[in-house]
Amino acid sequence: MPLSRSEPEPTPSTLPLNVQTPAAGPRGTAAAVVGAVAAAAIMLIVALGKADAVTGLLTAAVLVALGLVLSFRTTTRAAAKSDMPIDAAAPPPPDPGDVQTYVSALELAPNPILVVSAEEPDDLAGRRIAFANASARDLLRVAREGALLVAAVRNPNVLEAIDESLFGGIDRVVAYEAGGPQNRFWRVRTNPLPGTPTRPRLALVIMQDETEIRLNERMRADFLANASHELRTPLASLTGFIETLRGHAKDDEVARDRFLGIMGRQAERMARLIEDLMSLSRIELSEHIRPSGVCDLTVAVADVADALAPQLAAKGVTFDFGLPAKGVAWVAGDRDQLIQVVQNLLDNAIKYSPVGGVVKVEVDVGLTLDAAAAFRPDPRRLSAPDGGRMSLQTPTWSADVRYAILRVADLGPGLARETLPRLTERFYRVEGQKSGERSGTGLGLAIVKHIVNRHRGGFLVESAPGHGAVFCVYFPMTPSQIGSQPAAKNDRNIPFTESSAREEIKLS
Amino acid sequence: MRARIASESIVDMSTNEHTLKFFGEELNQLKAEVARMGGLAEAQVADAISAVSDRDVSLAESVVGRDRRLDLLQHDIERKSIRLIALRQPVAQDLRRTVGAMKMASILERTGDYAKNIAKRALVISEAEPITPLTRAIERMGKLVAARLKDALDSYTSAELDQAMNVWQNDEEVDEHYNSLFRELLTYMISDPRMINSCAHMLFVAKNLERIGDYATNIAEIVHYEVTGEEIMGDRPKWSGVAREDADDSDLEA
Repeated sequence: MPLSRSEPEPTPSTLPLNVQTPAAGPRGTAAAVVGAVAAAAIMLIVALGKADAVTGLLTAAVLVALGLVLSFRTTTRAAAKSDMPIDAAAPPPPDPGDVQTYVSALELAPNPILVVSAEEPDDLAGRRIAFANASARDLLRVAREGALLVAAVRNPNVLEAIDESLFGGIDRVVAYEAGGPQNRFWRVRTNPLPGTPTRPRLALVIMQDETEIRLNERMRADFLANASHELRTPLASLTGFIETLRGHAKDDEVARDRFLGIMGRQAERMARLIEDLMSLSRIELSEHIRPSGVCDLTVAVADVADALAPQLAAKGVTFDFGLPAKGVAWVAGDRDQLIQVVQNLLDNAIKYSPVGGVVKVEVDVGLTLDAAAAFRPDPRRLSAPDGGRMSLQTPTWSADVRYAILRVADLGPGLARETLPRLTERFYRVEGQKSGERSGTGLGLAIVKHIVNRHRGGFLVESAPGHGAVFCVYFPMTPSQIGSQPAAKNDRNIPFTESSAREEIKLS
Repeated sequence: MRARIASESIVDMSTNEHTLKFFGEELNQLKAEVARMGGLAEAQVADAISAVSDRDVSLAESVVGRDRRLDLLQHDIERKSIRLIALRQPVAQDLRRTVGAMKMASILERTGDYAKNIAKRALVISEAEPITPLTRAIERMGKLVAARLKDALDSYTSAELDQAMNVWQNDEEVDEHYNSLFRELLTYMISDPRMINSCAHMLFVAKNLERIGDYATNIAEIVHYEVTGEEIMGDRPKWSGVAREDADDSDLEA
């Protein structure tokens, strides 16, 4: 593959690329120290005979990388601040105990860091990952050191940049979009590294997450577009009523009361819309960051069901629960967001249920991805004309993850097959559907989808006109809870005991 | 059947005890080249989708221009595979890997052709009036297809059988998107004949994306064959098929 020499990244002239002969300024002593540590460490390891040649080399590579990272930072900072002359002060001898510390430091760095080794330019299988820190191993699914580079990174731009550092000695910066459900944007820096006798060609690859910046830009544009478009209708009606009240309805008390009522509802709708838009924006901004908490799905459902009691009573709808005992359905997730998912799904189910209908709410645990995706299909809906089932969000496959699923089934009018893929679109409304009109913002399922995606979960729908609709969401369970019966850690405001859970939470 | 066969993953091939060490390296080289070609095809698809959704003419042109590299890579991989078969006469899994590389190359080349076709249509679409809801729908479908292609290629480089099966089984999602988009496009064309030109092009973009999704399942089939030596039998499972198993488990009183 011919190397195309495009725009190399401007490098500070003071950057000491060769750590064997460190040239550090007063502000760059850290670089010199690390450089010396690198050199000394290799000798130490070999001399002590405590490690074989491979580990020795690996450590050397790591240290060289660390040296470069630090020297890059220090020298750029130094270069930015002043044009201090460089003096070749001898670095103090490193403490062998520190070596492991530096390796750990690199390992813990939040940025994915790779060291790539290479043979000949035309030997594609010769490009291998000599070192990958924890963050890089996680992101690129590197099985172990020595893996093929192309097995971890396939993007042609990144490969080209790495090639130029390996064979052309050039620093490059390229943008890289990782793809997948939680799309992340990276800025990838590649730098040549000084080789070792057995590994003559080495390059350092540092990745920097720019997802947030990119998302922020897009979010602002989306928010403005959505808000200005969707607020126009209620605003126009408000203006119309105000004009009428100022004009010929000025002294008509009956009309005034009626108009004020409508205006109040429109204003409420606008407030709800803004609230939902803001909430959607917030969720989207953190969508690439995995949530850290844990939450019991059973408890979340019970809490939401309690809060919805007035709406149930108003419409004469009842919930039919099939929940496991509390302390079983632990999922890894943000409690508030999970509550929001449950709330939106139950809310919809009530809204579309006929008066006096039954909404079936079930939770099941310990399912594989396949089992969750195929959870309890109903042949009646699937065989009905225009009926169907489809996934609105599918998580990336990963071994050993088990899912907890929430299934909400209503007996409402149901949805035709062709509308299903569009349900999570913002402001999408199914044509000819009356029951939901005006009462929702059209953002509920979009919010559910984005929260589910953030949790690396899945979302599916099954429906047929005249046979009601079923919405399922599934979330990864916390690893320690799979197959075990953990003690209930979180027993706040649960209105029932474990033994009688199924009976007592039947609200009607 | 769905056992994970880690020892056969690409990363471990160098340590496998091949009768001929040199042969193992050649196979590794072949797989690495297929992976690189996969990366290129992936980038072509992603760029073609962006060209449609962002109305980016220069991006579309560069996708069209880069297609030639995929053609060259395909010829190269094919030539090397044939040479390998002729000179080394591989058997069992080595043979499957070699043939698999050839098949992969031709699938990826055609994937690239579809990406090029999408990019060409993007040039026409960007000249017409923007139809934002439609381009958003295309973008959504494109993201889905790109993610599936990524999963399929990941399963190829890691020889991860379960992941390949997962790609293979979830083919219907793309089809559903296609069907939904098809109806939507028809509605637009009926309501405003001036849109017919760009809508017709969008229709082909959607069709091309659907075909790329099919290729992702083909890749999963190749991975399955490479790892197990067996072809995946039968049709892809449809939901109705799943439903029949627990037909009694109906939960709603109609």
